[in-house]
Amino acid sequence: MELIFLPLILGIIAFFLPTKWVRPFGLLASLSVLAFSIVHLMNFEPANYVLILNPAEVFPLGLTFKMGYDGLALVMVLLTNAVISIILLANWNREISSNARFTGLVLLMQCALLGLFTSLDGILFYTFWELTLIPIFLILYWFGKQDNNRALFKFFLYTLLGSLMMLLSFIGLAYFSPNFSYFQLVQANFDGKAVEAAMIMGGILFAFAVKIPLFPFHTWQAPTYTNAPMAGTMLLSALMLKMALFGMIKWMIPIGFEGLVYLKWPVITLGGIGIVYGAIIAMKQKDLKTLFAYASISHLGLIAAGIMLFTVSAIEASMVQIINHSIVAVALFLCAGIIEDRLNTRNIDDLGGIAKVAPHFGFWFAVMTFISVSVPFTAGFIGEFVLIKELFSAHWVIGITAASTLVFGAVYMLRAYQGSMFGPSKVTVFKDLTWNEYAVFGILTVAAVGFGLYPQIIIDFIKPSIKFTQELMAGDLTFTKK
Amino acid sequence: MDAVIIIFITGLIGLFVGMLKKNELTLAVISIGLIGGFISMFLINDYESIFSTYAGLTFSRTQQMFALLAIGLTFLAVLMGYVYYKEEDEHTADYYGLILFSLTGALCLIGFSNMFMFFLGLEILSIPIYVLVGIQKGNSLASEASVKYFFTGSFATAIMLFGIALIYGSTGSFDLNEILMAIDMGMSHSPMLNIGVLMMMAAFMFKVGAVPFHFWGPDVYQGSSNAVMAYMASVVKLAALFAFVHLFNFTFNQLTPFVSGLVLFAIIVSLFLGYLSALKQTSFRRMMAYSSIANTGFALFAVLNQQFGEASLWIFMIGYACSTIALVTINMIVEKDTDELSNWKGIGYSNPLIGITLVISLLSMSGIPPFTGFFGKYLLLSSAFANYLPFVVLAIIASLIGAYLYLRLMVLSLSREGEGQKIKMTAIQALVLVLCLAGVLGGWLVLLIK
Repeated sequence: MELIFLPLILGIIAFFLPTKWVRPFGLLASLSVLAFSIVHLMNFEPANYVLILNPAEVFPLGLTFKMGYDGLALVMVLLTNAVISIILLANWNREISSNARFTGLVLLMQCALLGLFTSLDGILFYTFWELTLIPIFLILYWFGKQDNNRALFKFFLYTLLGSLMMLLSFIGLAYFSPNFSYFQLVQANFDGKAVEAAMIMGGILFAFAVKIPLFPFHTWQAPTYTNAPMAGTMLLSALMLKMALFGMIKWMIPIGFEGLVYLKWPVITLGGIGIVYGAIIAMKQKDLKTLFAYASISHLGLIAAGIMLFTVSAIEASMVQIINHSIVAVALFLCAGIIEDRLNTRNIDDLGGIAKVAPHFGFWFAVMTFISVSVPFTAGFIGEFVLIKELFSAHWVIGITAASTLVFGAVYMLRAYQGSMFGPSKVTVFKDLTWNEYAVFGILTVAAVGFGLYPQIIIDFIKPSIKFTQELMAGDLTFTKK
Repeated sequence: MDAVIIIFITGLIGLFVGMLKKNELTLAVISIGLIGGFISMFLINDYESIFSTYAGLTFSRTQQMFALLAIGLTFLAVLMGYVYYKEEDEHTADYYGLILFSLTGALCLIGFSNMFMFFLGLEILSIPIYVLVGIQKGNSLASEASVKYFFTGSFATAIMLFGIALIYGSTGSFDLNEILMAIDMGMSHSPMLNIGVLMMMAAFMFKVGAVPFHFWGPDVYQGSSNAVMAYMASVVKLAALFAFVHLFNFTFNQLTPFVSGLVLFAIIVSLFLGYLSALKQTSFRRMMAYSSIANTGFALFAVLNQQFGEASLWIFMIGYACSTIALVTINMIVEKDTDELSNWKGIGYSNPLIGITLVISLLSMSGIPPFTGFFGKYLLLSSAFANYLPFVVLAIIASLIGAYLYLRLMVLSLSREGEGQKIKMTAIQALVLVLCLAGVLGGWLVLLIK
């Protein structure tokens, strides 16, 4: 339980701290939460389900308040805590990190995210899903570009519409399950009413599709990213989008498997369109941040399509890719943030020749570019190749579409890199990296290469969880706390 | 019974103590009376009353819960009134006395078990409100509001009375149980009964402020003082909605097929008209009036839910009333000469208490968990899900428009331009805000106890 309450309490404390203490406090707070989650990791055995909150009774409305994690959720918990620490570290030399409201909101966001990943109750999941929206909204509003209300409203209302559809689906689910406990929902019996199941799952999927974002639901993303502060973009793309992918793996597939036959190919198709569409738009972008936003649509379309294949290896590869995308997102938006911080512009046309003035930054930006185009020995290589292979075995058209991401990815990333770092020297003054930026790039590179060389470490965690869930779905397993 | 008497007598004493023009003393007397009323209402089924019991006024468990909520909300309104009348010590006694008399009526309206008590309660509830709306004598808007409210209100009451007469004519009784029995025996197709029920429903729609009987709302809200507005939006609405739900779920439950279409129409039109009109307002009070019309639309889902209607309404109302009172209190703090929304710019950023209360109230009103407003809406919608799915979907779409409305207000008041702005807030106002915040945050926990 301390896993959720610690960031909440620390976050509330952060609001009341004097300015000079805020910055170290924020970093220490996030590191201490990370330390706690590592303790959880040490005591964890992959085949187990650890319940951190398990009231025996069922409350009115079918609320059960169960919370806990399996391997899948624990990976996400660790990812959240690590990424939050990295984000705070990356912002160390910026004014924003000394702002009590910012640090407090980031820690509250962490609390909501951890709650989401560990909740094992439908309404609790929905609650945390909505709660994540509030801190990010305030971060975007207070620290983003001024006069960005239009983009903000679009973001908030679009995601809220998705959430409301999910709420409708949960209300509908209540007719098929005695209560909202995850284990009951997974065993929900639709009695062959596949169409009803598909409608219910459609609502949940809509919420996820908006957040991922899948192809026709992506319109909120680029303006929101462009107007957001660097930390906000990182939080959005490295963590909030993963909520939806996690929700697909952990909630949608086990609960509504009967209904998903109708949704499988539509989603895969949308994912495929997203891969190509995002990449093509990204090639045309001048603004680095918008470019990375569309690149993100392309990457996440691949993951979403992979998840919808429902095969074990595709889901494992998706998890690897989820982690990889978090690394890439933090890295690329940090690069964009550094450029914007030093030069007050992100337009590729105004950039050029930075590598000559700031060779260290040029080097690290190159490393990050290579990680994002998934060269061998990085985590992206493993994830993308397994996903593409799985998509190929499902259907060759989608396989080829998915494979195009490799080519397109290289095109837009190298173009962005070349346009800003080399070429005619338009930039003459560029302060090279500070220590915290070196540290962030270093950590990210170690992580990406580490997971690239030994992805099994992630898969070992997930595999027993997937197996457990499969047994739970088959219904030959009555759940007991181990 | 005791609680009603205690509160009535406190109102009388308040009138006389108020004449001394000692505001603190009056507040103390009124508070003691309200607390006494609260306690006796809390224990009402646990002890033998010294007064002889009257069968027309009984408090079941649910009715007790509603009565407790009404007393609690009145306490908040009294605190707000204290702040207001501290500065203009002209009508202190009238305010306290009338508001407690009105509460007496609300309790009768909550505890009724025959039509006679029901009508009595409705009138005792309404008449002090007509006066309270117009209590700012120098203000022309207030006079206008008062006259408008009085004329339309008494017209609605007349229709209500006619409806009751027709129901009496067809069933032969005032007593709810006997009416129920008469309807069970096959009266449900009697035209006289149906017309009577229809008339009662129209009058109820007026009292709760649902479309198409909502026209008095914005004008009356704009003319009345903040404290009276808070009282009207919370206690009056609570009592009238409870009576509506109680009557139609319990006594007229055979007639549900007959009324459900009309109620659904009122719900959807209230939701959309309320929220869409609210979007266009620049004055805070008119916006709150339209928002209250829309929220009434939500609350009316309880009429269609025979099993949990009253319990859902309770949860919904605690969320709605606490958020509304919090917002009105904030309006009281920021109000300068007008109640334009531009007064709100940046207040949430410069004052943390206001900011937190405002954000949480607005989020609760938009239906975002884990605040009470969400659980209220959830209960109301989930019970209607099986039978009225298209209307639930429409309600969800409307609540998205509502979310936009509340989000706009939130963004306006959290604007960074408010940095360093000085805001004067008295301790009592802070207390009201904290109490409302507690209600919005923790009101739904009652669900876990029952």
